[in-house]
Amino acid sequence: MARNLKIKVARAELDMTQKALAEAVGISRQTMNAIEQGEYNPTIRLCRNICRVLGKSLDELFGEENEDA
Amino acid sequence: MRKNNLDEMQEKKLLSIEHNGMWLAFWGLVAAIMIQTCLGADFKQLAGEWVILMVLSIYTLIACIKNGIWDRRLKPNLKTNTLMSLLAGLAVFVIFGIEFHLNNQHGLVLPTAAFIGISTFLLCLAALQFTSYLYKKRKELLEQACDK
Repeated sequence: MARNLKIKVARAELDMTQKALAEAVGISRQTMNAIEQGEYNPTIRLCRNICRVLGKSLDELFGEENEDA
Repeated sequence: MRKNNLDEMQEKKLLSIEHNGMWLAFWGLVAAIMIQTCLGADFKQLAGEWVILMVLSIYTLIACIKNGIWDRRLKPNLKTNTLMSLLAGLAVFVIFGIEFHLNNQHGLVLPTAAFIGISTFLLCLAALQFTSYLYKKRKELLEQACDK
């Protein structure tokens, strides 16, 4: 699975650490890291929570272009 | 109900750990029963292991059929069921062959072990065919419910 750099970029735009994003979404940092590294495929519910916290759409963060990243 | 401390990935990992633990317990019990049988233990000595194995197996069987699940790789057809039953019959034949041999019942080793092996094959085949039938009926019912 490809790394999700878009989450990392969106997080950086908000000056948010991985730990802060994980807490805001309600998951462990371990899980947040696995999502960014492309090691874990989150459920649609978790994707939507991440999008809501980062103020992005599902397509922006989890769109198909991430496959090439 | 208390709040779940785990997030979805941790929950998935815990389920995977529990899954491995369940199969470890299952095959551990099978191995314990096989070894004790080979060493000539009577039923009273392995009744505890046998009861736990049966409870585990019956629970898994009922839960799977109820949810319309058979197996990841094996198909519920006569060919596969016959092959699996043959393997079970062969395993039982070998185990009882060893047990009779160790207990110095030389004259009866082959025919008795063969009889037990063939009986196991037939019982397994009947049980697999019956549960395959139940699975197919249940799957059909679940698919019909999707159409409603």
